[in-house]
Amino acid sequence: MKKSPGAIFNAAKPRPSKGEAQEAPSKKSPGAIFNAAKPRPPKGEAQEAPSNPLLPPVLRRLLGTLYPYRGWMAGGAALALLAALAAIGLMAVSGWFIAAMAVAGAGGIVINYYTPAAAIRAFALLRTGGRYGERVVTHEATLRGLAGLRAWLFRRLIPLAPARLSALRSAELFARLRADIDALEHFYLAVLVPAAVALLTVAAAVLVCLIVLPAAASVLLLGALCAGVLLPVWMQRRAAHDAAQAVREGAALRGLLLDALRGHAELLAWGGVAAHSRRIDALAARVDARRSRIELLQAVTGGAVGLFAQLTLLPVLAFALTAAHRGTLAPSLVVMLSLLTLASFEVIAPLSEALAQWQATLVAGARVFELADTPPAFVEPDSCAPLAPAAAIVFEGARLRYAADAPWALDRVDLALAPGARVAVVGASGAGKSSLLAALLKLYPLQEGRVLFAGQSVQALQGDVLRRRIAVIAQQPVLFNLSLLENLRLAAPEADAGRIECAVGLAQLDPFVASLPAGYDTVLGEGGALVSGGEARRIAIARALLQDAPVLVLDEPTEGLDARTAHDLYSALDAAARNRTLLLITHRLSGLARLVDEVVVMEAARVIERVPVSDYLARERTARMADSGG
Amino acid sequence: MPAAGPIPAPRARDAAPGAEWLRREAGRIRKPLLGAALLTGLLALALVAQAWLLSGLLDQAVFAHAPLRRLWPLWLGLLLLALLRFGLSVGARRTVFRAAQRLSQDLRARLLRGAQGLGPYGLRAQSSGELITGLVDGIEAILAYFARYLPQLGSALLVPALLAVFVFPADWLSGLVLLLTAPLIPLFMTLVGKAAGQASERRYAQLRRLGAAFIEALGGLVTLRQLGAADRFARRLDGESEEYRLLTMQVLRIAFLSTLVLEFFCTISIAVVAVLIGFRLLWGELHLRAGLFVLLLAPEFYLPLRALGGMRHTRMDALAAAQHLSALDDIPSAPGASLVRGARAPLEAAPEIRIERVSYAHGGRAAALRDCSIVLEAHRVTALVGATGAGKSTLLNLLLGFAVPDGGQICIDGVDLTVLDPAQWRARVAWVPQQTHVFEGSVRDNLLLAAADADADALRRAAERSGLAAVIERLPKGWDTPLGERGLGLSGGELQRLALARALLRERARVWLLDEPTAHLDPDGTRAVEAVIRAAAATHTVILVAHRLSAARSADWVAVLRDGRVIEQGTPRELEGSRGAYADLLQAELS
Repeated sequence: MKKSPGAIFNAAKPRPSKGEAQEAPSKKSPGAIFNAAKPRPPKGEAQEAPSNPLLPPVLRRLLGTLYPYRGWMAGGAALALLAALAAIGLMAVSGWFIAAMAVAGAGGIVINYYTPAAAIRAFALLRTGGRYGERVVTHEATLRGLAGLRAWLFRRLIPLAPARLSALRSAELFARLRADIDALEHFYLAVLVPAAVALLTVAAAVLVCLIVLPAAASVLLLGALCAGVLLPVWMQRRAAHDAAQAVREGAALRGLLLDALRGHAELLAWGGVAAHSRRIDALAARVDARRSRIELLQAVTGGAVGLFAQLTLLPVLAFALTAAHRGTLAPSLVVMLSLLTLASFEVIAPLSEALAQWQATLVAGARVFELADTPPAFVEPDSCAPLAPAAAIVFEGARLRYAADAPWALDRVDLALAPGARVAVVGASGAGKSSLLAALLKLYPLQEGRVLFAGQSVQALQGDVLRRRIAVIAQQPVLFNLSLLENLRLAAPEADAGRIECAVGLAQLDPFVASLPAGYDTVLGEGGALVSGGEARRIAIARALLQDAPVLVLDEPTEGLDARTAHDLYSALDAAARNRTLLLITHRLSGLARLVDEVVVMEAARVIERVPVSDYLARERTARMADSGG
Repeated sequence: MPAAGPIPAPRARDAAPGAEWLRREAGRIRKPLLGAALLTGLLALALVAQAWLLSGLLDQAVFAHAPLRRLWPLWLGLLLLALLRFGLSVGARRTVFRAAQRLSQDLRARLLRGAQGLGPYGLRAQSSGELITGLVDGIEAILAYFARYLPQLGSALLVPALLAVFVFPADWLSGLVLLLTAPLIPLFMTLVGKAAGQASERRYAQLRRLGAAFIEALGGLVTLRQLGAADRFARRLDGESEEYRLLTMQVLRIAFLSTLVLEFFCTISIAVVAVLIGFRLLWGELHLRAGLFVLLLAPEFYLPLRALGGMRHTRMDALAAAQHLSALDDIPSAPGASLVRGARAPLEAAPEIRIERVSYAHGGRAAALRDCSIVLEAHRVTALVGATGAGKSTLLNLLLGFAVPDGGQICIDGVDLTVLDPAQWRARVAWVPQQTHVFEGSVRDNLLLAAADADADALRRAAERSGLAAVIERLPKGWDTPLGERGLGLSGGELQRLALARALLRERARVWLLDEPTAHLDPDGTRAVEAVIRAAAATHTVILVAHRLSAARSADWVAVLRDGRVIEQGTPRELEGSRGAYADLLQAELS
């Protein structure tokens, strides 16, 4: 019965289509993420398509998200309404009962007190039970609706990395995923439910007044409008800017804190700890000042609801007493009306708090949906033809750049690697070596030309299928805060102990495993923090070997290793690369001859030559001798 | 349940520091809390007066048929009291909030210092996602506790007592009902709350785990895609999210149960009070004014308790956060991190650094340095070479004062490093770490870290000499390009240049500690950087950790480390000629 989180949004898709169409014009660049969050865009621009100011697109989208849970949500709201009505009923009937009993007592009249006494008990039980049921059901509804949202968003982010996400720092991404979705929780619980309850309860109270004393009804309606609509709207207007900024600055604060912790060693070394702390304090003070202003508004609004209750009571009383003096209203109903009026404002009180969340919810919602809607760099095909086992790689006039105004990272690159070819790509840093890899792995789209893998354009291949065929050992391998075994199994979840030990042996990782307190089950720390650079590299190599792909790409595999270790590793890599296409990206010449047959030289985003490795090394050695000689 | 016996005891002990810590912190805003309590008391008195005036008004107008015009003092009184209550309620809330916010600011700063006090080694073993969740969300939970929960607690103790004082003379029977039910509420709430507290701790722990897992998955998203493991990781996050939902519901159900008890008692007793008053009015045993007065006050009697019940999760969240954060508060500062030591570094010129029989082991792992001795002479480039894990980087960390040797000493021009003022010592040290951290901010901000007062000229010089200038030229906004986390957008070689530019910018440095400064650089880049290092030797003491012997070959002095010891040292030429460890390494590299 469990729905996949993806289904949440698939089901919601048809509904917000109108809203999306309105959003479209503002979607220019990743920077536009924030445009939607601006409380009031500068006036003077052409008015966009007719948009309902009470129902912004984000809200409609959010409602669409919650749509599958409408049963739970409506149930929760109904229970909340029941409890609120029972609470008001309890006070109103009690007031009427006391006054009627007093009148009866004074006049010696017989009175049926069973019915009102029973009503009082019934209201009491309804209120108690209703409150409990309401809380359980509304929270269940919220959590059900949003439990999968984080993971859903993460899934939407997967195809965006790295081409569409490089502008965002992961601290900020993190803030979006966690804090924004937390903020969205408030939408149903703290905005929708109180608003619905207040509306219906006040309507019911006004209806009762209308029957008893129409003049009182108009006063109550007016007071409720002031306290429940005008006051919150005034507050929201005043708080909107601060609320939106506080969300944004809160995300920036997390980024600064991350720097303070992850970059602590460097701050310490450069004597920047105090200055960075001051930056944090300054930003925190700014956020706190905004929060304080919002809190003041909340305090004023909260107090003002009580004030409005009293200010409404006085005219209600005046009308009621006048009517009672005229004899058109029973004395007991005067008491009932006053208590009804006072109790009605209890459901209005949460509205001001609810609307404080309103702006933050909208900002958070806008950011979450904008991020989720970022089109991936590639449209993945639904299926792709089976790949031939022999993997030829061909670059045809490939051009790649990372931004429209950036220089070419690859400029008309032509390169063909036959299956089983062993090629080193060398060149200055920034010559395009890593971009070659990014294009091959289908991480960034080409602006021109194409890359063929096993005879098919990578464009037509599913990225995951393609990448399974290419094992990569990255320049800075990323390890996760999992056990060593889990880190290794990331590449091959099905690998058995034998295969893992074989890969570990090839990567010369055995002594490291033996030195670990819990062996394979040792947790490596955040980002593999507890292992050294060389060890991390070897773990990454073992991981790549486990992937068992026909193509092996080594991006500076021995960087950070001493010569002895590098030497040993090259022999291991030599064995591992047997029967595989090997692409070695390096600027380190030693050992090259043992691993590759050819050298491709890149310069300024182009391939400038391709020579047998012996020729290249001989030439370089001569140059180097001349260098150290002179 | 075989292990049920010993478990509760440690848990109780564990929970105590959080609560104790919260109490201590709350003590620092005692005065504003008392001030708010005073205002709350006044608020309750105004409420009593209001109820008295209103019941009087109804009594006189309805039953004594007094003309409305004669009752104007009551109308006026009600109006004034309404205004007074408004002012008092805003005042009470602001008094506490402002104080609590100041306290939370202090806390954040103090706890960040506490976390940093772990030192670079200690921090590496911590999950920064968890720490940030604590420092942001945890502090927010604690702010809510101080600003909302504590005043509400005060109001729950004070207001019912004050109201009871006025209800009793009006109607002793109703007073008795209120007084008898009131203590039942906290009693039941405490019983239910015990279980909720434990569930809340688990929920908070799960929340922190969730945070850590997310930040890590995002940081390594590209790697996950390359490994085809992104979907599997997403499923893992699904599981964690689902667990969080279940734990949250578990906490909430218990919390709501306590609210149910509360609502039940206060609703039923209001109903009982109303019925009791009604019948005594019928029998003529009570005056209407007194009856109305009590009925108006009855809900107000329970209101603070109800509000407090609604804030149970505020307290639980704060307690769980406090438990996490209090641990940061009593971290003993890592050695060398914040100790203030007097001696000034005699560092106008490049110093001689003497490492004498230093041993060091960190985090229970095998010793990284054992009895290591070496002299790093001034105006000389000393290269440290050796296999991975030989202790080269550890030595640099000790030199930076990130840790203190377990044995032996490091002397700077004859002065023990442990008695030098660390800040002053580091001010004279420039460091190129193995993995450069890129800070949020522009390229310029990232360089200015090393010398906040550097002018545009100095920046340009450093960028040019390090080769960073060429990189900046390619960046879309040049010097103002914002750099992403972990140098997203910068390649390994470019990061290296950034680190080197930082070192160059620190012109007052007389010691250079370079951890593989030419890693990730191509031959041209390497040659350029080596030239910079050679030039620096004229005025600096340079220590260079090298994996590539070509870098070591241009050094003046080479020390080969193995298993935390210097096993061989000499000039590169001497060592090349000998048949020792260095020659072996060289042989391996050239083959």
